[in-house]
Amino acid sequence: MSADDESADGARPGAAAVHMDGITKRFPGVVANDDIDFAVDRGTVHALVGENGAGKTTLMNVLYGLYEPTEGSVRIDGVRHEFDGPSDAMDAGIGMIHQHFMLVDTMTVAENVVLGNEPTKWGGFATDRAQAIEETKALAERYGFDLDPTAQIDEISIGEQQRVEILKALYRGAEILILDEPTAVLTPQEVEGLFDILEELIAEGKTIIFITHKLGEALEAADEISVLRDGKLVGTVSSAAASQEELARMMVGRDVLLDLEKPAAQRGDPILEVEEMSVEDDRGVTAVSDVDFAVHEGEVFGIAGVDGNGQSELIEAITGLHQPSSGTITFDGSQITTASRSDRIGMGMAYIAEDRQKRSLVMDYDLRRNGLLGCQRLPEFSNGFRIDWESTEEYVDDVIDEYDVRPPDPSADAHSFSGGNQQKFIVGREFERDPSLVVASQPTRGVDIGSIEFIHDRLLDLRADGTAILLVSSKLDEVRQLSDRLAVMHDGEIVAVVDPDAVSEEELGLLMAGEQPAGITAESARVRGGESA
Amino acid sequence: MSGLRDRLAGTLDRLVDASPLERLLISVASLVFALVLGAVLIFVSGFVATCNSPVVFIPGVGYGCYNPIEVYSTMLQGAFGSPISLGQTLQETTLLLFTGLSVAVAFRAGLFNIGTQGQMVLGALATAVTVLWLGPFVPNNAIGTIVVIPAGIAAGAVVGGFWGMIPGVMKAYADAHEVITTIMLNFIATAIAFYLVNNHVGDPSSDSVLTETIPAVAQFPAAIDGSRFSFFALGAGLLVAIGITLLYTQTVIGYELRTSGIQETAAEYSGVNAERNIVTSMTLSGALGGVAGAMYVMMAQYRWQTGIPSLGFDGIAVSILAGNNPIGIIPTSLLFGTLKSGSLAINLSLGVPTELVEVIQGLIILFIAMPEFFRLIGKRSGFGSDTPATSGGEQA
Repeated sequence: MSADDESADGARPGAAAVHMDGITKRFPGVVANDDIDFAVDRGTVHALVGENGAGKTTLMNVLYGLYEPTEGSVRIDGVRHEFDGPSDAMDAGIGMIHQHFMLVDTMTVAENVVLGNEPTKWGGFATDRAQAIEETKALAERYGFDLDPTAQIDEISIGEQQRVEILKALYRGAEILILDEPTAVLTPQEVEGLFDILEELIAEGKTIIFITHKLGEALEAADEISVLRDGKLVGTVSSAAASQEELARMMVGRDVLLDLEKPAAQRGDPILEVEEMSVEDDRGVTAVSDVDFAVHEGEVFGIAGVDGNGQSELIEAITGLHQPSSGTITFDGSQITTASRSDRIGMGMAYIAEDRQKRSLVMDYDLRRNGLLGCQRLPEFSNGFRIDWESTEEYVDDVIDEYDVRPPDPSADAHSFSGGNQQKFIVGREFERDPSLVVASQPTRGVDIGSIEFIHDRLLDLRADGTAILLVSSKLDEVRQLSDRLAVMHDGEIVAVVDPDAVSEEELGLLMAGEQPAGITAESARVRGGESA
Repeated sequence: MSGLRDRLAGTLDRLVDASPLERLLISVASLVFALVLGAVLIFVSGFVATCNSPVVFIPGVGYGCYNPIEVYSTMLQGAFGSPISLGQTLQETTLLLFTGLSVAVAFRAGLFNIGTQGQMVLGALATAVTVLWLGPFVPNNAIGTIVVIPAGIAAGAVVGGFWGMIPGVMKAYADAHEVITTIMLNFIATAIAFYLVNNHVGDPSSDSVLTETIPAVAQFPAAIDGSRFSFFALGAGLLVAIGITLLYTQTVIGYELRTSGIQETAAEYSGVNAERNIVTSMTLSGALGGVAGAMYVMMAQYRWQTGIPSLGFDGIAVSILAGNNPIGIIPTSLLFGTLKSGSLAINLSLGVPTELVEVIQGLIILFIAMPEFFRLIGKRSGFGSDTPATSGGEQA
């Protein structure tokens, strides 16, 4: 069963292992993949990079048969396939390792590997455990995995569990392995181990696609790198010829935004003060460590960073969705570290959540009901018991009118609006109730250019009125243009606070990658000093 | 193969996206279809049954015993033909209205309360004990009734609510699935009630496991001679249905409970404590189950005794059939009430075996409930309008 024999099996010589041709996937209001041509050569590691929401996972779900593409076709080894589901994709030799493992905790390594394709004995009546262990052991040895086939899943490490997932795919005959953000859950040592495994797999003739937004890893492990942005393929580069700066530029895009008229900040008193705060994510891994900053009246405090470096956890701790593990948060002079989310709303904290379809909108509610979301206990909207639908409707009509939500139909369900209009509605709902702090997380993600400009203008209007604004965005242009001070997050820490006008995009890119460019330390010291003055 | 799958998936999509009018039409068509199929079934079964006066003879096949039209007309007669049968129908309707509302309240908040039966059993006992204790202290007239009946309802609501709160707390704070816990608590409720009545609060003069008959002041004033049905109880049920509708459309807590059920992440965003909401919803649901028990004691049985009918389980079907809409539960509980009292008559006057009557009942429920059921399942499994992937999530 050498790799050569298998590739000869029905494959056209010289064809790419994976060839996705003109893939478009539309969801209501969103084009997740827009005419993507994507090819991966046999026996190579191909990294797929892009921001969250750029369409990476959607593209891979199309390849894995979880989604049917709206347009376009998939060829595996030159043969065209139409997958009805993952099992068809598996039959074609595709295996996918999800970010969250799908293993049975209480079963052994070998049992998990063979699950669904168990070797049997007694004419198919019983699982042949001995053979399962034997086969798992042979497979693990072949690829150089250090795994005990009889160990129980909940007793082995995350890195080992990932290897079990890979073995499971190999056991089912996968020739092409898709790994969805495989390093997100691993320690640095485990990441090195994973890269060794990838090399081993390539040596055995396998093809690997891995999704990541960590550029350094893509450069280290991949032969080729494809960059997605807003559902489109920006380009494919050879990792030998690419640099982090170049990739970052491709990933976030530039010259997208028009220059903004931004008057000088009228900075007032601090509204939000975060002191020595650490936050653990749901797995108990420290996501934010020991962060200190303050956001003042009338300024935009930006946070830049590659997605997944603790920004989401930081925001959820500030807005009251997640308890910090240590440190304090002060809002408008009072300690709110343990205050409930609704208390924070009542005190005037507006929040544009990063995932609007999950958090900021109830997709099955019409705009009228969505206008109430988060406001339902504020005195303008209810007396705490009975909803004042009349003023809610007025408010919603105002928001629709002022923020140009189209179509202007308050009785239409949220899911029937385009992403841009959904976001304009959320921004309007949050801004119109006169907040003293706006927490805006990825406020223009997946939004059309016209709406982006509109949302930026409104943010600056609020800033001119003396509102404090905390802005998180993985779009470098956006945070640079809007922010008065810009913090860069890497691996849960704020590695620098810089003056966005004085820092170059290249320097920012390095900071985001966790490196300290020459000259930045002094710069950040200057801005930090200014803050405490 | 894949063509069939696509077509099934397409049908499910259309079902999930169906408008209220389309859903009503689907239900009516299902009812007609079920009646037609039931008629065929009755007619065919007639040829294997034995009877003294066959209704039809087909040469080569034999004598048929049952005339489907007669069966259906007897069923209608049995449900509505006389004041007494009408009273019986409305009494069943009233009880099902409460148990259906109990299930619906939980469902609206994204919870599946299978425990209405247990909540009803314990609520009924609490009512019986309370009114038996209270009876001697109040005057034996309308004033006594005005005191005792509300007290009995309150006792049922409190105990039923407590019994509903337990799985709510277990769900919210210990992640125990409410379907499992409520089913288990049904057994516990029945056992506790049996023990208490058998050993402590039962009628000592009786060998059966039952309480004494509740005093006349605690009995709902009957509307029809020969029937125990009371318009007060039905009226209370209708008011509760309207009240729950108002709760979900007009009040902050209703908005929050509903948002928690429809989209928990958005509820958290809006500052709702999802855990507390789970407990609240289950308590409210349990309280309504308890009130159903109170109605059962004070309107139907006039005492607590073992073998309380499975009104709580029927309430699940009543609620699902109505799409968990409180106002929709009014007609569905009437449908079930009609089936229950009408089928009794078929058996008594036509000699159609109860098993066959239950098959007909089952067919009607199955046909009407299935489209709604598939709609619910389809919605939960992501059919209907496609939604995009959230990155990093589990799609498989």
